[in-house]
Amino acid sequence: MSKTDAVEKAKKVKFVILDIHGIMTDNTLYYTQEGMKSEAFSLHDMQGIKALTGAGIGVSFLTSKVSRADEQMGKIYGLPAENLWGSSAKIGRVEEFEKSSGITDAELCYVGDEMIDLGVMKKAAFSVAPADASKEARDVADYVTTVGGGKGVVRELAQFILEAQGKWDAFVAQFK
Amino acid sequence: MAFERDLNNAQERARKIKFFGHDIHGVLTTNTLFCDQEGNRRYGFWHMDGFGDLSFVANDIKIAYLDTTSVDGEGLFRAKELKLDKFYYAVTSKAAKIEELKQEYGFTDEEVGLLGSDLSDITAMKKMGFPVAVADALPEVKDVACYITNAPGGRGAMREICEFVLRAMGKWDGWVEKVTKMGYK
Repeated sequence: MSKTDAVEKAKKVKFVILDIHGIMTDNTLYYTQEGMKSEAFSLHDMQGIKALTGAGIGVSFLTSKVSRADEQMGKIYGLPAENLWGSSAKIGRVEEFEKSSGITDAELCYVGDEMIDLGVMKKAAFSVAPADASKEARDVADYVTTVGGGKGVVRELAQFILEAQGKWDAFVAQFK
Repeated sequence: MAFERDLNNAQERARKIKFFGHDIHGVLTTNTLFCDQEGNRRYGFWHMDGFGDLSFVANDIKIAYLDTTSVDGEGLFRAKELKLDKFYYAVTSKAAKIEELKQEYGFTDEEVGLLGSDLSDITAMKKMGFPVAVADALPEVKDVACYITNAPGGRGAMREICEFVLRAMGKWDGWVEKVTKMGYK
């Protein structure tokens, strides 16, 4: 897949669906001595998500099971609670969303890194994988980010999509 | 006696396994204990190693968490979250526990595998069909392994060995297709 093709696909994106583990996190689950689980997220991604939603592109999380840490991060990143989707039957969940929203495969971007993501990656017109995703996911992806999971994947993707759509300069201008 | 690390040989051995074990630290973790100034501790586990264990169970390969290293019960926390705690054993000797489980389930030596990293793995590894080691295992452990993963401990070694075994068995593609459609939890 050439970069030109990826840009053409990115132009049409209206909604971005993000797998959490290995995309938003560094693939690691941290357990405290009491058995409390935590995950490591990137602050770069907060800016990425805000850039996308600010430009009118919807964003949701799709993971097997939404943890309390994921809920907290959804709030911190400014996502509405209904955009945190927990399902390991990922294709079914995305089809359900398409029916209710009217968004089509051509307008969907999906970011995944593993076997369980391949179905949705093939379904969504624009599929993306982090640099350290499994080989299968990178092979399917239209675009592989230069950074690995938990290191600003969404920040990089947001810039890629908004540049393709000619909206990036407007986003950056807010900070000048 | 060191095995010759030949890929075909390792695949041949992988095809026969029915039982696969691993320790916690150095395999599912990077051997790191995070400790803050109040003495609070935490441990990082590679998320997709859970997929490796669950994939083995779903494909009729019995697994065992043979935990010699947990400080705060973190190995059990991880096993519980994956609903694999019935395969969790806190042990002092992995070799002895493997011997016991082999008797209990009627497995032969060649049907047993272990992903090792540390000296405590060597005795068991010498007496089984499919001894494997993580990329950053001690040299003595690598010496008795028939295959060494590309990933070091805590960076997806268990996920990798799962793929290696299921591919050798010819089950990987079917399993991936199933997981892609149905999920695995």
